[in-house]
Amino acid sequence: MSSIFSLIQNENMKIYRRFGTWFMIGLLALATLAGALIIKATHKEPENWKAEVASEIKRMEAELSEEKLPKMYKNYLKQQLKINEYRLEHNIKPVAPNTFWGYLVDSADIIALITLFTIIVAAGSVASEFSWGTIKLLLIRPASRTKILLSKYIAALLFALCMLLLLFIFSAVVGAAVFGIENIREPYLAYQNGAVVERSMLFHVVQVYALNCADLVMMATFAFMISAVFRNHSLAIGLATFALFVGPQVTALLAMKFDWAKYLLFANTNLTQYIDGTPLVEGMTMSFSLMMLLVYFVIFNGIAWLIFRKRDIAA
Amino acid sequence: MNPLLQLKNVRKDIGKKTIIHDLSLEVFAGEVFGFLGPNGAGKTTTIRMIVGLMGITSGEVLINGISIQKDFEKAIQHVGAIVENPEMYKFLTGYQNLLHYARMTKGVTKERIDEVVQLVGLEKRIHDKVKTYSLGMRQRLGLAQALLHRPSLLILDEPTNGLDPAGIREIRDYLRKLAKEEGLGIIVSSHLLSEMEMMCDRFAIIQHGRLVGIESVQELSKQAQKVLLTVEPVEQALTVIKNAYPHMNVTPAKQGIEVSLDYEEIPNLNAALVSEHIKVYGIQVLTKSLEERFLEMTGGNEIV
Repeated sequence: MSSIFSLIQNENMKIYRRFGTWFMIGLLALATLAGALIIKATHKEPENWKAEVASEIKRMEAELSEEKLPKMYKNYLKQQLKINEYRLEHNIKPVAPNTFWGYLVDSADIIALITLFTIIVAAGSVASEFSWGTIKLLLIRPASRTKILLSKYIAALLFALCMLLLLFIFSAVVGAAVFGIENIREPYLAYQNGAVVERSMLFHVVQVYALNCADLVMMATFAFMISAVFRNHSLAIGLATFALFVGPQVTALLAMKFDWAKYLLFANTNLTQYIDGTPLVEGMTMSFSLMMLLVYFVIFNGIAWLIFRKRDIAA
Repeated sequence: MNPLLQLKNVRKDIGKKTIIHDLSLEVFAGEVFGFLGPNGAGKTTTIRMIVGLMGITSGEVLINGISIQKDFEKAIQHVGAIVENPEMYKFLTGYQNLLHYARMTKGVTKERIDEVVQLVGLEKRIHDKVKTYSLGMRQRLGLAQALLHRPSLLILDEPTNGLDPAGIREIRDYLRKLAKEEGLGIIVSSHLLSEMEMMCDRFAIIQHGRLVGIESVQELSKQAQKVLLTVEPVEQALTVIKNAYPHMNVTPAKQGIEVSLDYEEIPNLNAALVSEHIKVYGIQVLTKSLEERFLEMTGGNEIV
């Protein structure tokens, strides 16, 4: 009986011994560097940040005086207002994109690229074994198909985790090199239990990264399922990326008209909507979204497992 | 002796079509068992069912008495196999490929990997990427991965495919040695019939998903022989033979007379002919080859 750890080790070997994987890592490094240089070139430092914050406070107050605002959005505005007032009181500059922390927070946008890479790896994990013909030698070992599928899934997620860590490290290094680390002690202002609190910026960055991962995990799982069901690499990549780019738009359109749109996958993958913004459909909460994600997660993995376990290997 | 591999009324349906019809056979330790059949006869499907790649519609496959369906992990650990072509991870080196499979079975050490590499003669190229290998080298690597975990049942689909004559002979000798000295049961399928004849102890012929027959190579050579007699005068000789052996199958051929009789009877027939003053110029034994037997059993109208 082979242990799951050796199986994962095998899958890792098959991921990292390939040129494509290192090409992706190179692209990731390039993206962080390019991002930093573009921000450095284009960002204009406001002459007087206090005046800007003050004018923003005025704008928010004006907006709040309107009657018909949705409740969630109103709350959000109120919180931002409090935070801005706190800034003026305590002389804390807003985090600008051309600072170490500002850049790290923005680097979370590059997670979309990691999602794409993870889709490619997850999609290839099962499908490639079929197209290479190696599936036959893989499945005649003392390891159940369940274990093999699980090891592949875990290896794909480990790849995503590894890429996230690399993104964090690349961004930190690039951010420090390009923008300097003078502002490293800057706090993050959050609104909690009716009061503004100062939090560690590192904690905030980790939180932003984590919230951005819902998309990543769900799309990787989706691609993995398609790969296990149809044994076709391109189809799995194509469907998953198509869903990744078109899904949120379609869901947003549906959400404007129908309430049931909140049960769709893409209504729930963007968890940052609960931290800074308004939910897609009124009444949605973080725990609702997490529940929905869990349901989709179980369905995707269940289908992949059921089909892979019973399939006749005739490749 | 308990059979190493036992197929009991194995049947495979795909959709409404039955691909394999109630196949039963046994393979014992220490023998090389040949699997013959025309293309599409169901050889590969049968092999896939034995190693658990395909489900079995009804019937049972037992390896060392353990059901492949009920206890896959336990049954398969005694099996080493190449199913069709030995497809490996081309972007990995030969060694990394072996390491990959070694990790999947408990107790395969680095020393064992080195030992197997030496055995199949790949020492010089084992650290090169598989994509640079020739078909023959891939075949050797395939054999290496099948032998890694010291299986008691070895299943090889076309093991000599892509090897040069020296390589074929080497593999053949090695497989015979594994069967005789280490007591492995080996199943070989090949379309090279003469090859099979030299390698196998017994063979099964499959056609249209049915077992046409199981024969041993020994039996094959003991079977009634065809003997070609070059005699004069032919007419007179025919009468003599008909008198001596009234039930014998006699056919006049271009070069003489063809008769079927047991090996031991040849001198007696000769004596009978000579005593009747028939001139006997030659007695030639026409052994039945596996090829003839194969064509005879499968009807002979299909390509192997």
